[in-house]
Amino acid sequence: MATLVATMPWGVMLILLPLAGGLVCFLLPGMARLLGLLTVFAAALSVAGLGWQLHEVGVYRHLLGGWGAPLGIELHADGLSLLMLAATALVGSAVSVYATAYFEREQAVRFWPLWLFLLAALNALFLSADIFNLYVTLEMMGLAAVALAALAGGGDALGSAMRYLLATLLGSLFYLLGVALLYHGFGSVDIATLAARVTPSPAVWAALGLITAGLALKTALFPLHFWLPPAHAAAPAPVSALLSALVVKASFYILLRLWLEVFADLATGVETLLGVLGALAVLWGSVQALRQSRLKLLIAYSTVAQIGYLFLAFPLGMAAGVAAWNGLAFLVLSHALAKAAMFLAAGNLLRFGGHDRIADLDRVVQRLPLTAAAFAVAGVSIMGLPPSGGFIGKWLLLEAALTQGRWDLAAIMVLGGLLAAGYVFKVLGHAFTQAPVAHEPRVVPASMEWTALLLALAALLLGFFAAPILSLIGIGDAFDTPEIGS
Amino acid sequence: MEALTPLALIIDGLLVLGLLWLAWRALNCTELFTAIVLFIAFGLLMALAWVRLEAPDIALAEAAIGAGLTGALLLAALARLQSPDADAAVTGRITPASRSTSPMFRLALLAALAVAAGLGHVVMTLPADAPGLSHEVAAQLAASGVGNPVTAVLLNFRGYDTLLELVVLLLALLGVWSLGGKVLHIDTDPSPVLDTLSRQLLPVLILVAFYLLWAGADAPGGAFQAGAVLGAAGVLLLLAGWRLRAGLVALPLRIVLIVGPSTFVLMAVVTLLVEGQLLAFPVEHAGLLILIMEGAAMLSIGATLAALFMGGNPDNQQVHR
Amino acid sequence: MTAIHLYALAGVGLFTLGLHALIVHAHLLRKILAVNVMGSGVFLLLVALARRTGEAIPDAVPQAMVLTGIVVAIAATALALTLMLQLAAETGHATLPEDQRESD
Repeated sequence: MATLVATMPWGVMLILLPLAGGLVCFLLPGMARLLGLLTVFAAALSVAGLGWQLHEVGVYRHLLGGWGAPLGIELHADGLSLLMLAATALVGSAVSVYATAYFEREQAVRFWPLWLFLLAALNALFLSADIFNLYVTLEMMGLAAVALAALAGGGDALGSAMRYLLATLLGSLFYLLGVALLYHGFGSVDIATLAARVTPSPAVWAALGLITAGLALKTALFPLHFWLPPAHAAAPAPVSALLSALVVKASFYILLRLWLEVFADLATGVETLLGVLGALAVLWGSVQALRQSRLKLLIAYSTVAQIGYLFLAFPLGMAAGVAAWNGLAFLVLSHALAKAAMFLAAGNLLRFGGHDRIADLDRVVQRLPLTAAAFAVAGVSIMGLPPSGGFIGKWLLLEAALTQGRWDLAAIMVLGGLLAAGYVFKVLGHAFTQAPVAHEPRVVPASMEWTALLLALAALLLGFFAAPILSLIGIGDAFDTPEIGS
Repeated sequence: MEALTPLALIIDGLLVLGLLWLAWRALNCTELFTAIVLFIAFGLLMALAWVRLEAPDIALAEAAIGAGLTGALLLAALARLQSPDADAAVTGRITPASRSTSPMFRLALLAALAVAAGLGHVVMTLPADAPGLSHEVAAQLAASGVGNPVTAVLLNFRGYDTLLELVVLLLALLGVWSLGGKVLHIDTDPSPVLDTLSRQLLPVLILVAFYLLWAGADAPGGAFQAGAVLGAAGVLLLLAGWRLRAGLVALPLRIVLIVGPSTFVLMAVVTLLVEGQLLAFPVEHAGLLILIMEGAAMLSIGATLAALFMGGNPDNQQVHR
Repeated sequence: MTAIHLYALAGVGLFTLGLHALIVHAHLLRKILAVNVMGSGVFLLLVALARRTGEAIPDAVPQAMVLTGIVVAIAATALALTLMLQLAAETGHATLPEDQRESD
């Protein structure tokens, strides 16, 4: 049994299962809900299988078509990919259960094929080792995400989906131009081959700039974040959860991977710029979140701020390596869980009261205790309090900043935590009090409340599993980069 | 490639100037209809450029998809925007802010020129001789089952990209359907010219599509070009007022739409079980397997492109104008 | 300079022309045209530089990439056009909300 688990092509199954599921859901809309749930759970099990395989055997490689790089495309899975895949599986499973209760039939028939193809795109993206294949997965993910974001209909959702589509296409084209320069400069689109061949030259600097700019736009790094808050706020709640937790992290993952491997030794100083923009994102996003009167917009601006933390890690990681990157990885995972929980909780509140105005949250704590608890517990991770995963992530980053003497970055991180506490407590404060105008409450299904709470608890308890998670992330030594200048 | 001879200079120079000029005019002229027509002309000129660059497969695809079908989609969208019951506000006259005299326009143009200069410099620094992956492709071409290197790359060496790309196309259709747009509906009977033309052209287009599919193994052509021609045939039919019979719009249409990606996925599973690697074809059967996959892809691509032109899900339409 | 450089620079030119139009124009149809022109520019760059093989046959991998890119471009264009139409039907303007202060 153990050998069976160790030799099955889990990575490939992670891609094929959602693809097949999406095709069948499209063919047989009547069975979409059931098939969708089964597919997502099967994919989640495959992630567990892949994790076991990585633990036992080591880095996973699959040569597609039997042709290895540089002629063919390869799939690689190491600890970092496993982390992203695990986040996708956890958030995806919870959101899928939530979505079965959230969408009524007509919307559900549209949701499931789109979501399954998005899942396939995400898994394919996290496993790919080929920069052109990453472009195709980026487009697949982008089109699915836009279609999902527009599901709610109405002027708000359509306008923000249109802006999202244009931004994502622009980012992809910048990325593709960078890929073209890398290919024509160094003769391959395979990451490992490129990492070996790349030498400092105008072509690689231009490619670095283009790819970083394109992916920064897709990851909504300040000041390129303009498309995110309206898009994530106007989408249906489960879609907002997927977008903030997973889709935004996917383009960040590509950026991270390319910086760690292809652009590792270039010593360009661009990481300093990324750090500065990350700091601005933390401050700007948090301040904007404090100013919002609608809950989903507040949560979306919180995403902008949390993404800033991810970019803060860049100068720290490129200078001194592993600790900062581990912190970043923890932040990615815990933010995915916590932010998804927050959006699902917001969806519950919307379903309950018919609106998401923060000031009019009418004694939510008494009437939807599970949802309020979910929001509060998720807030603990966003604020970075122990024992949550957010705390571990921020702790590791702070440690890295202090050991490198980067007091400025440490100060930003602390300030960001305080501001996060500000907007989380703003919401919770209104959740205890009675609204000026009462309204007809609607029933919120138990599955919707419980999935939000379970995700939040997962983010909270992540800190207890720090050591095993760190050892899993370390498989394949993705973060073992030589220091700049060496 | 040797330096430019005078004749080549004239041809390529005029082509490049034409491309840049057409793009500029298409993007910045005052009337939207003119813009789209210029864009279609731009696409056709691009097809010529692909021929000059010895990329006949791309030339075929550009002419059919880039110029033809994209142009059809754009014109149909414009027609809906400017239909009699549409608000006057949605017409596309150029606004004061985007007129060429505005400072924003000029500032952006300067920035764009700076970017172009930088990128141009980078391009000129690339080595003049770089085989890329052509040696690897040539070395494995015999084992790929086809003679056309582009088909070999698309369907064998990097077939996984093609699988994902077929899903991307389907995703676009899913998105269009989930947005709930209305199906394009032609009220009037087709004019005699269109009627006759569509009846005469349809069998020709189908023949050309199958020829392109068959020839794509060893000559320019392949599933995408063939699918695009089928899609064009579908668009022609739709414009002539033809409608899919009511019984076929639900399951049968969906089957045709997914037969391409499904064949790829099935082939992926089978090769995974048999060969241990996804989409790894045994050499002796590679040619046949590729032909089967291309055939399925052709059907799906053609149906999806025609369905995209239709604009809405025909299954749930009480067709009103 | 050879013809390769000529076409590659044309690709860069198209990319920047498209980028300029995307930023400057408010009407969504023009933005969609702009994105298409940008894509064509990148494709031209990819294929032009593929002629540097030094032999008679150009490099097939960039050509396959561009074929993929053309299909992805029409998929994205179709989705964008439908979004635009739905947005225009809903709001009466074929522009993003922040550009609506102008007449279209």
